[in-house]
This record gives sequence, structure tokens and C-alpha cells, in this order.
Amino acid sequence: MQVVDPSSSEERSDTISEAPSIQRSEEAKKLQKREAWSRRIPLLPALIFLIAVTQIPFILSIFYSLTEWTVNPPRDRTFEGFENYTFAFGDRFFREAAWVTAKMTFWSVVLSVIFGLGMAMLLDRKFRGVGFVRTLVLTPFLVMPIVASLVWKTQMFDASFGMINWFTGLLGAEPYEFVSKRPLWSIIGVLVWQWTPFMMLILLAGLQSQSTSVLEAARVDGATKWGIFRQITLPHLRNYIELCGLLGAIYLIQVFDHIIGLSGGVSSARNLPFFVYRTSIGGGWRFGEASAYSIIVVVITIIFATFGLRVLSGLLEGEDAA
Amino acid sequence: MAEVKFVEASRIYPGSDEPAVDRLNLDIGDGELLVLVGPSGSGKSTALRMLAGLEWIDSGSVHINDKDVTLSPPQDRDIAMVFQNYALYPSMTVAQNMGFALKQQGVPKQERTKQVREAARILDLEPYLDRKPKNLSGGQRQRVAMGRAIVRSPQVFLMDEPLSNLDAKLRVQTRTELADLQARLGVTTVYVTHDQVEALTMGHRVAVLNFGVLQQVDSPSILYSRPKNRFVAGFIGSPAMNLIDVDVSGDSVLQVAGLDIPLSPEVAAALKTSGPGKYSVGLRPEHMDIGTEGIAGEVAVVEELGSESFVHVSTIHQGEPLLMEVRAEGQTKIKRGDNVHVAVRGPAHLFGPDGERVGD
Amino acid sequence: MSQSTDVADFGSNRFASALLTAFTYLLGIIFFFPVAWMVLNSFKTEDEASGSPVFFFEPTLDQFRLVTSDIAGRASFSEVYTNSFFVVLLSTAIVMILAIPAAFALSVRPIAKWRDVLFFFISTKFLPVVAGILPVYIIGRELDLLNTRWSLVIMYTALNLPLAVWMLRSFFQEVPGELIEAARIDGASLRSQLTSIVLPIVAPGLAATALLCFIFAWNEFFLSLQLNTSDAQTASVWVTGFQSQRENFIARLSAASTLAVLPVVIAGWIAQKRMIRGLAMGAIK
Repeated sequence: MQVVDPSSSEERSDTISEAPSIQRSEEAKKLQKREAWSRRIPLLPALIFLIAVTQIPFILSIFYSLTEWTVNPPRDRTFEGFENYTFAFGDRFFREAAWVTAKMTFWSVVLSVIFGLGMAMLLDRKFRGVGFVRTLVLTPFLVMPIVASLVWKTQMFDASFGMINWFTGLLGAEPYEFVSKRPLWSIIGVLVWQWTPFMMLILLAGLQSQSTSVLEAARVDGATKWGIFRQITLPHLRNYIELCGLLGAIYLIQVFDHIIGLSGGVSSARNLPFFVYRTSIGGGWRFGEASAYSIIVVVITIIFATFGLRVLSGLLEGEDAA
Repeated sequence: MAEVKFVEASRIYPGSDEPAVDRLNLDIGDGELLVLVGPSGSGKSTALRMLAGLEWIDSGSVHINDKDVTLSPPQDRDIAMVFQNYALYPSMTVAQNMGFALKQQGVPKQERTKQVREAARILDLEPYLDRKPKNLSGGQRQRVAMGRAIVRSPQVFLMDEPLSNLDAKLRVQTRTELADLQARLGVTTVYVTHDQVEALTMGHRVAVLNFGVLQQVDSPSILYSRPKNRFVAGFIGSPAMNLIDVDVSGDSVLQVAGLDIPLSPEVAAALKTSGPGKYSVGLRPEHMDIGTEGIAGEVAVVEELGSESFVHVSTIHQGEPLLMEVRAEGQTKIKRGDNVHVAVRGPAHLFGPDGERVGD
Repeated sequence: MSQSTDVADFGSNRFASALLTAFTYLLGIIFFFPVAWMVLNSFKTEDEASGSPVFFFEPTLDQFRLVTSDIAGRASFSEVYTNSFFVVLLSTAIVMILAIPAAFALSVRPIAKWRDVLFFFISTKFLPVVAGILPVYIIGRELDLLNTRWSLVIMYTALNLPLAVWMLRSFFQEVPGELIEAARIDGASLRSQLTSIVLPIVAPGLAATALLCFIFAWNEFFLSLQLNTSDAQTASVWVTGFQSQRENFIARLSAASTLAVLPVVIAGWIAQKRMIRGLAMGAIK
């Protein structure tokens, strides 16, 4: 075993010349490039598939939106430029549908997050059968939305035979036609019933990911239960709540099954996606208009999503820092 | 023959102003155990990872056995690494963990088993070969991490703070075993730690880094007796050297708290040559005595260790309060508040206004 | 990971604690009630199911027999169920095969533009399927895919892929970086790193993601309605065939509904814990 002379300090090696370093940096660049590409390859199948299946229809939509194209009665497709768009902004029905979408999405997201948080807090405790109760509460999320809507329409909300009216009837109230009198809120009701479990799961995980030592320290410092909740738990849950809002909004803007299931699509509670559908192959057969509507919906969603994306970036940013 | 050379090797992280490792030049001999030591952020781990191929080398080069490996991926460098957190594959047994690299190389099963068993024997891991990492203690996991490295018979061992996660007693025990193992196997080893005691006891030579720059590389005894600059002087040695700022005037006399400090002839001559200025005097606690003569002061704190004790004495130096640490005998009778005198017995180190050592 | 943090606990007050537990049970029962009622109704006769609610009755399997028998002009139950399983299982399998490498490329040693790619994946969900159905329908018609199972396989894959990539990626993030570095030094190729090291660690996350895709695909209604008529009908559309405007065949509808939701509900119950971990852990980061 040979060891370098211990009495020497570090020595500059002059056996390697400087010239190769210039070549080396070009080689190094090529190597880095090749390495970066080899890391991209696993992504490509999914990316290509998604681009093909989603972007082609999207581009077609843009194209159709610039034409006048109705099918009933059949007429030739003619190029109309932005006329469909200007019509849309003036169309009362379009504006109504937008407003309904806003209300429906907002209330179903907010209410299911609030109820989800409440349920999560109740289920965060230790008691016998907590898993069983959690299973019960989870079930509405698993039920097919169209089935949920039909069951609520015929068995819960129904004026003559529905269970809600039966129950309120026991208390002496008159039967109430939920679906026909309050279509929007009936729909929101079923949506909240189905999505509260989803929010609850996410928020439950958030509650359980709290550091017990932090909570214990707070208790030792003399904080009240409510104080702990407000100053420690809620800030910790912020990311989780924001995620609930984001995911919830993405899925709840697109509600369709409940509208068809509960009201047959004939009530005043029609959101934008439904309205667009009705205008195109759902009966209106006005394809040019409908395509313009759908593009507008995308633009609106992008605007809201960019705002929501700043939230997402915050989550992703925190990841980089961690 | 596995020599390792860093030649002007630098690494700067994108978006950062300062390099993490700044033009490192280091030659490591075959079979040597070289320790890279320094505070956090000193670049020691980065330098190790540059050798491993886990960090890009932005300029300069790295050589293993005269072969330029700067552009080679980790698996082509014939190295093995032990990570601080061991990085054991949780879904595999100990035997599978240790045999993984051989499997990637296409070594047939029989041969693999043989080599794994051999490494397990060296490390006393034979009873654990079929266990999964989660069923092992910290010390056992550490040995599996070592075993995984040994099995590959590499040219160079790289170790990134392998003992940091062990409790204090186990750490001291494993330290000796590790140094012994390295000596027996004779494989060139580059070892990173932030613990200078570990560095001094294990390394054939120790390289001290600070802010990405190599401060000094020497044997432990030279680092201790002839630190090249103020940083190394204050970093090496436990407890740390007392570093006292002294304004030296024209007559080149060195005084601490009124006491003349004896200098060796070379240092005195060098001091005369450099002239007046702000210098630092280094006095090791073990080279000072509490007695009846010397600097007058009051005892502020006594740290009793049984075998020895360390007394912190408070005094006045150049008009400002000064706290010095002095080694005394174990089970000392000295207590807080006592008025004592501190004499300087051993050599004084002197560092110039630029922090560099003055004298030899 | 199921330590309770007892935030809502009333601590030493045992009576209040018991009250809270009882309240929780009550809420659970209320939540579950509509489902329970539906299942109950499927064992009743039509007379028992309509009119004032009947709680005690003699259960009969007549309704189930009725809905699973072959009715003229309507797709048979076994056909419909098979279609649903085929479409859902196949699309979920394809989603996993595509999403696993993609998530790996976005997490373990991420490509440079990983944030942009992730945003793109999510952005494909910004156009509501309901609004963008027209071009999809037209393309489906041109490619002769209408009324086949393949149209749904392709569409469900596209619908679930973004969520799967998102969730799998965050599971992969939990793998310690050092493990990957050790594997690299040991000479493992990218593929080997994925299969030997990463996948065994994230196996529960894989299960949770697959389950979620299964749920969303099985429960999907709109596309199945639009793209297929009778030949490749799935369970969701089949159920709606049992409504009628004239009479309320509640018991029959309930039986059909119970059969339609059964696979997902059972799967969800069994894999509950994994799904909790999946939804929460996966979605958070």
C-alpha cells in the first residue's frame, strides 16, 4: 500500500494539459443533451396520445366556430368569421347558462368543502367503528352520478313518494316539489351529497398529517381547542383546501349527468356545458354556434385556471424548496 | 493501483453566484483513506458527488487511475458509494441489496451468491441475509450499506458521512472497525465528514474545505501542529484553539493581556519582516496552564469531564474583555469565581492580517 | 398514518365525547340512507316500493330477475356488464401503462419543462367533454368507431390520463433521491431504476390510482350515451332505460341501479384505506 508523502501539501498537477478542456466542453454539451433526451422518452407515449386525442377535436372546434353550420334544416357550411362569437355575447340564454354555471359550481364546491371539513374533523377522532362510519360516508362518492340523480329524483325528492317529504310530513309539513320548484338547488344538493366524501378524504389526510408535537406544544402553551384550530390547523390545511377547490372546480364545472337525471334538462337549471350540448347535437343542431360557445367556455376556464394555477405553482414551488 | 486526481475541478449551481466547489486540486494515492472535512456548505459532499458522477463538473476534470472520467456516467467509473442515510432498497433483502449491482452487470447467480456471502462474512452480516432493511437496526443497516460497496470490489470507495446517523457510542466503535477494514482491503477511499475528530482519527491525510475552496491537505498531525491559516487552526482540534486578535506595533512584541508570548525564532523573524498590523495569535487550551504565574483573570465556567477539565477564564486584553479556554487536570478544585493565572507553555501560532500562517 | 390528532375531541368530558360520537354515527347513517333505501327498494314489489314508504316487507328477487332477463329491443344485462368491464379494465390498463413512465419522467429525474408539461396535462380537462362532443362525434363517425367499445376505451383513457399522471408523479416524489442515486451507481438503467426500485415502493399508490380510474370510467355516462347506441352500451346508459315517464317503476329501477353501482361500491369499500392514502397523499404534492 503506497501513501503519498505526508509532509507535502497539495500540489498542482501539471501533467494534464489545458487544451483538451475546450474539446471536453463540447463533448460535455453533447453528452448532456443526449442524457436530457433519454429522460424525455418515457414521457412521449402519454404525451403523444393525449395531444392526438384532445387537441385534434379542439382545433376542429375552433375551425367550426368560425363557420355558420346548421344541420336542421341542412344548409351548406359557410365561413362567417367571428360572427358566432359576437352573437354569443349578446345571447341572453348564453349569459343565463354562464350565470347558472357560476352558481352551481361555486355552491357545490364551497358547501362540499365545508361539510367535508366538518366530517373530517368528526372522523379524526378515535372511537369504536370509526372505519365503519367512514365507509358509510364514503359511499355517495362511489355511486354512479346518473344513478344518484335518478334515485334522488324518484325516491328522495319526489313530492308524493319521496323520503324527504315523508319525513317532513311526519313533522306536519306540506309536501314540497323540490325538483320542479327549486331545480338548481336540488342539483346542488345531490352534488354536495356526492362530493363531500371526496373533500372529506383529502381534508382528513390533511388533519392527520399535522405534527403531533406542534399540537402538543400548543396545548402546553395553554391554547384553547378553538384557538388551536384557528391558528394551527386551518393554516396547515390551507394547501389541502385549495387543492379541494381546484379539483372540485375542474370536475364540477362539467356536471351533466345530474342535470339530465334530476330535471331531464328541461328546467331553468342548465349550465354552460349542457347549454352547449343542447345547441349542438343535443337538439339545436347549430354546430357553428355551439363550437363558438365551447371555445368561449375554454377561454373562461383558462382564465380561472391561471388564477388557480398560481395556487398550484405555490404548491409546486413549495416542493422545490423542500 | 487506483489513484484519484481532481484537476481544477469546479461546480457552480445554476442560478448561484458562488461556486460550490472552486478549482479543486487534489491527488489521492492508491490505498489512501483521504478525509474531506469542513463545515456545512463547504463543498465537501459536492466534491465527493463530482467524483461519483452524480454532479456535473462545470470546469476542470476528475481522473481515476489516469483515466479521465469527467464525462463518464457513475456506472462506468468503477466506484462504490456509501450514503449517509444508507439508501438501502426497501423492497429487497440484504442479500438482494448487496447483489444488485452485480446483477446489473450480468454476473451469473452462482457467482453473485458467492461474492455476497464473502462480503457478508467480512461484515458479520451472514445471519441477516434474508431480512429486509426495515427489520434491521441502524448499525446493521450501516453494515449492509458497506457490504453493498465492498461486494463490487471497486477501484474507489466513496463515503458520504456514513456514521452520522449512528448514536455516539456506536459511532466511535464503528469508526475503528471501518478504518481497520479499509486498511485490510487496501482500497482507495474518499471519506466525507463534518466531524473533525472523525477526520483526524481515521484519515491518512485530511483535506479541509471552506466555501468550496481547499484550505489545506496534510496528515492529521501536521494539520494539528502547523495549520496553514486561521480557519484551519480554529477548525481542527477539540476543544478549539483560542484565537486572539492582537494589534502588533512597531517593536514586533506580541502580548496577550499583558503577557509576552514566546515565539519560535522563525516566527519571530517572519513577524519582524511583515511588520505591524492586526494579527491573530493561536493558543491551544492544552498548551496553557492554570497556575501562579501568567495572565490574571477570573474563572467564568468550569467544564468537568472526569479525565480532564476545561476552564474558561475571563480577562482583559487590549482594553476589551477576552475569554480563554484552558485545559486543567481532571476533578479539579478550581471553581467559578476563582482568581487565577494562566501561563502559556506550548508553541503559539501566529496568523497575519490575511489569515495566513506566519512563519514556517 | 391513521393517528388521530383529536382536534375536535372534547378531551376529558366523556359525556360530550359520547354525544359527539353518536352525532357522527347519525350523520353517517343520513349520508348512507339514500343508498340503503335504493338497495332496499330493489327487494320489494312495485306496490311496496311506491306509495307510502314501507320498512318491513318480505324480500323478493323478482326485480333482479326482471332486469337481468332479456327484454326485446334492449341490450341484455350480461352484454352490458361485459361491455362495461371490458371498456373500464382495458382503459385503466392503458392509462397505467402510459402514465407510469410519464410520471417517472416528471418526477425522479425530471425533464427541464416538467411544470409546463404537467399544466398541459391538466389543461386537457378544461374543455368540458359535454361542450366538445361535436368534433369527437364527427371524428368517431369518420373512423367508424361509433357504436363500438373502442371509442370509449380511447376516450376514457384520455379522460383519466391527466389525473393518473398527476397522482403517480406525487407518489414517485416520495421515493428518496438517494435510492435512485445508489441505483445509478450500481449501474441500473433508467428502466431498471423504475422497475426494480421505484415501482415496488409505490405499489400502494399504483393501486389507489388504478382504483380511481376504475371509478371514474365505470361511472361515466355522457360519452357512453353519445357515442354508442345499442351495440356497445355500458351499465350507466343501461340503467336509464328503466325510467319511464308514464309509471314509476321504482323497484325495477332500484334493482337495476343496485346492479350498476355494485362493482365500484364494493371495490371502493375494500380498497378504502389505500384510496384515502392515494387521494390525499397523491393529490397533495
